[in-house]
Amino acid sequence: MLLETQDLAYTYPAGKQEILHEINIRFRPGEIAAITGDNGCGKTTLTKLLVGILRPGTGRICLGGNDIAAMSLAEIGRQIAYVFQNPAQQIFCTSVEQEIGYGLKNLGLGRNEIEQRISHYLDYFELSEYRQTFPLSLSQGEKQRLMLAAVLAMHPRYVILDEPTTGLDIYRRKLLGDYLLRIKKDGYGVIFVSHQVKFIKAYADRVIRIEDGRLSDGRGDCG
Amino acid sequence: MRELDPRSKLLMVICISTLAIVYQDPWKLLLLLLCTILMLAWLDSGWLSRMHALAKILPLLALLFLLQCLFTRQGVPLLSIHGINVLTDQGLAMGLGVMLRIIIIIMSAMILLSSSERDFLLALVQWRIPYEIAFMVMVGLHFLPILREEALNVYYAVQMRGTELQKISARLKIKLYTRMLLPIISGAIYRAEQMAIAMDARAFRAYPQRSYMRRLKLKKRDYFLQITMVLLSVILLI
Ligand SMILES: Nc1ncnc2c1ncn2[C@@H]1O[C@H](COP(=O)(O)OP(=O)(O)OP(=O)(O)O)[C@@H](O)[C@H]1O
Ligand SMILES: [Mg+2]
Repeated sequence: MLLETQDLAYTYPAGKQEILHEINIRFRPGEIAAITGDNGCGKTTLTKLLVGILRPGTGRICLGGNDIAAMSLAEIGRQIAYVFQNPAQQIFCTSVEQEIGYGLKNLGLGRNEIEQRISHYLDYFELSEYRQTFPLSLSQGEKQRLMLAAVLAMHPRYVILDEPTTGLDIYRRKLLGDYLLRIKKDGYGVIFVSHQVKFIKAYADRVIRIEDGRLSDGRGDCG
Repeated sequence: MRELDPRSKLLMVICISTLAIVYQDPWKLLLLLLCTILMLAWLDSGWLSRMHALAKILPLLALLFLLQCLFTRQGVPLLSIHGINVLTDQGLAMGLGVMLRIIIIIMSAMILLSSSERDFLLALVQWRIPYEIAFMVMVGLHFLPILREEALNVYYAVQMRGTELQKISARLKIKLYTRMLLPIISGAIYRAEQMAIAMDARAFRAYPQRSYMRRLKLKKRDYFLQITMVLLSVILLI
C-alpha cells in the first residue's frame, strides 16, 4: 500500500505565502524515510497533510491509490499513526493504561487482546511501572514514549513521527531506532522528521530534504 | 485617520454597545448598524476582509432569530396554523432586534482591531487602570489563538485514534469533549506558570515605578469625537 503525494501545495488560511510547492513523494511500506530541513521549512506542515489533519489546497495524497480527502480522520488513523511534535497535546486520558487502550477499544478488539497489547507496549517502552500514573505528569521523554506506544499499539500501516528524538536520551533513542527497524521488517512504512544527522544516518533508508518548501533534489522517488 | 487615539475607539465601542443593548426598535438598531459600519469602514481599511468571521456565525444568528420569532406570543398574529399563532409582529421585531444587536456588538468590537494591542495597554494604563491588570487582559487575549491551536490538536488526536466524531451519539460526544479539556487546561496552566517565571525573571512588578516608552496624547480630533459621542449617546438614550 503506497502513500504518495501528487503535486501537493499548501498555504495556511491565515498565511499569505505558500509553504509547500509541488511536492511529489512516494513512501513505501518496509522503508524508513527521514524528512529533514531548516526550522520553519514546512516539515510539520507536510506531516499534518499526510495524515489529513490539514487538507491540501492543490494536489492530492493517496493511500493505496485512494485519495485520503474522501476519508475521515478516524479512517486514516487506522492506517497511519501520527505522533505530534508536542505529544502532550495528544494525551487526553487519565491513566497511562487507558491512554493506550483508548485506540484499541475503538478498533473493536477483544478484552484479552487489548490487555495483551497494553502490557506488551508498556513493557517495550519501559513504562510498566507507570501503568496507573496520570499521563500529563510524566516527563517529556516519557510522554513521547507513551504516545509512541499508544499509536503503535493500533498496528497501523504507516507511522509518522514529528521529531520523535527530541527529549529522548541516548539509550531511548536507540530503543526507538531499533523499534523502527523492527516494524520496518514487519512491513510498516516509517516516516520521521528529525534534525539529528546521526539518528538519520543510522536508521533511515532515504532522506527527504525540504528547502524553501520544495524537495531539494527535486524528486521524492529515489531509493 | 487610523491614528485616532485608542481611548476614543474604546469609548466609541462602549457607546455603540450601550445603545445596541438599550434600543429595542429594529429600525433604530438598523440605523445604529449603519453608523457602526460607517465608523468601521472609516477607521479600518481592511474591515471587509474580516467579514468572513461574521459569516461563520450566521447560522447561529438565524437560529436565534427563529427562536425569538417562534416563542413570542404577544402582538398581532401574522401567520397562524390551525389557530396557533406561529409568527406575530412583535415576535418578528424581537427576532430582528436580537440579530441586529449581536451584529452591531461584534462589528463595533472590530473597531478595536484597527489599533495595536500595545496601544490599548497604554490606553488602559493612562485611564489609571493598574498596569498588572491591563497587562493581564492583553496576555489573556494573546493566549486565545494558542489555546485554539492546542484544542484543535487534541480534537484531531482523538479522531486519529479511531473515534468517528460524526457517528457517535451526543452523550458520548459530550463526554469526549470534557475529556479533551484535560490537556487543554493542563497546557494552559503550564504555559501560565512558565510565563509567570519568565516575567519574574524580567523584573515584572519588582519596582514600584514603571516607565513607558510612549505616552498617548489626545488630539483635538479625539476630544471632539469623545465629547460628541458621549453627548449624542446621552441624548439618544433620554
Ligand atoms: N497555523 C499556521 N498559520 C500560519 N502559518 C503557519 C501556521 N503553522 C505554521 N505556519 C508557518 O508555516 C511554516 C512552516 O511551519 P512548520 O511548522 O511546518 O515548520 P517545521 O519545518 O516543522 O519547523 P520546525 O523544525 O521548527 O518544527 C512556518 O514559516 C510557520 O511560520
Ligand atoms: Mg515542526
